Amino acid sequence: MNEQEIIDITNKVFEESFEIEKDRLKPEAHIFTDLGLDSLDIVDLVAALQKSFGVNIRNEEKVRNIRTLQDIYDFISTIKREGH
Amino acid sequence: MNYLKIYFLNLYSYVLFAIYSAVCIPLLVLFIALMSLMLGHRRAMKLVRRAIAWWSRGIMLVPYPFVKVRYENNSGDETGEPYIFVCNHRSFSDGFLMAVLPVEGVQVVNIWPFRIPVIGFFARLAGYLNIRMMQTEEFFEKALGLLRDNVSIIFFPEGTRSGSRKMGNFHSSAFRLALKSKAPIVPLCISGSENIPPKGSLLMRPGTIRVRRLQAITWSEYNEWSLYTLKNKVREIIGNELALMEQGA
Repeated sequence: MNEQEIIDITNKVFEESFEIEKDRLKPEAHIFTDLGLDSLDIVDLVAALQKSFGVNIRNEEKVRNIRTLQDIYDFISTIKREGH
Repeated sequence: MNYLKIYFLNLYSYVLFAIYSAVCIPLLVLFIALMSLMLGHRRAMKLVRRAIAWWSRGIMLVPYPFVKVRYENNSGDETGEPYIFVCNHRSFSDGFLMAVLPVEGVQVVNIWPFRIPVIGFFARLAGYLNIRMMQTEEFFEKALGLLRDNVSIIFFPEGTRSGSRKMGNFHSSAFRLALKSKAPIVPLCISGSENIPPKGSLLMRPGTIRVRRLQAITWSEYNEWSLYTLKNKVREIIGNELALMEQGA
């Protein structure tokens, strides 16, 4: 899976699961302050990412450090590379 | 001239707030304490919440005529209590504006109101929910219990004061509670409070605050919506109405 595919699938999660408009989905967008997610939404986000990418997200420390969309792209890229 | 007006408004309002509260609060505490001896826990809690509404009503009258408050009910006839009220948040005064709603209600608040002397004490006494200091499960358990007891829950889903006319993103807790409880959601719009007082200041400016209650969105309307559709729609309804209010409608 290349980087663009990761970006497209992640953005689709935000569009479909959280109903956030496409034009707001910029790599630098802060998922809390710009996209309006809160701590409870993170559980939904993790579930949606797991389903869309077919991965198991367990590393809580890394999830807690996610702030922007770019962080999510990088995070998915890493776990895909590590073969989770 | 304007500065003189602002200084006069603040000087006389804060002096009157202090005198009014120094007289009113001990009397209310005494009244509640005496009544609690005769009432059960549930009725005593109702009385505490009513006492907060009485005190808040007085607080809102103090700065009159420099600060006017107008309530507008565009909801039609509704008998669906308890409600989940969802309201935009611009200023410290919004908490007082919500305390006088004609329902028994509990506000969902941030950490800082609990730390204010007197206000924090009454917020705790009335069972206000401090969402930042509770576990998620505990929060929903308590909120659902309150709704079952016919107590409405009042949310400021932006989570903090916007401090301006720009409305922030909405957090999802109010809507998660709605989907769990099936309670009607009442959108509320507060316009004009952004400078009474502005965020980061205690200096009130003269003005008119309008609180507009809109028609409730009932479970039969929203039961097929996703959490995020519900959140976005309510935010859109409030945003559109605020735009109209700010044009004078």
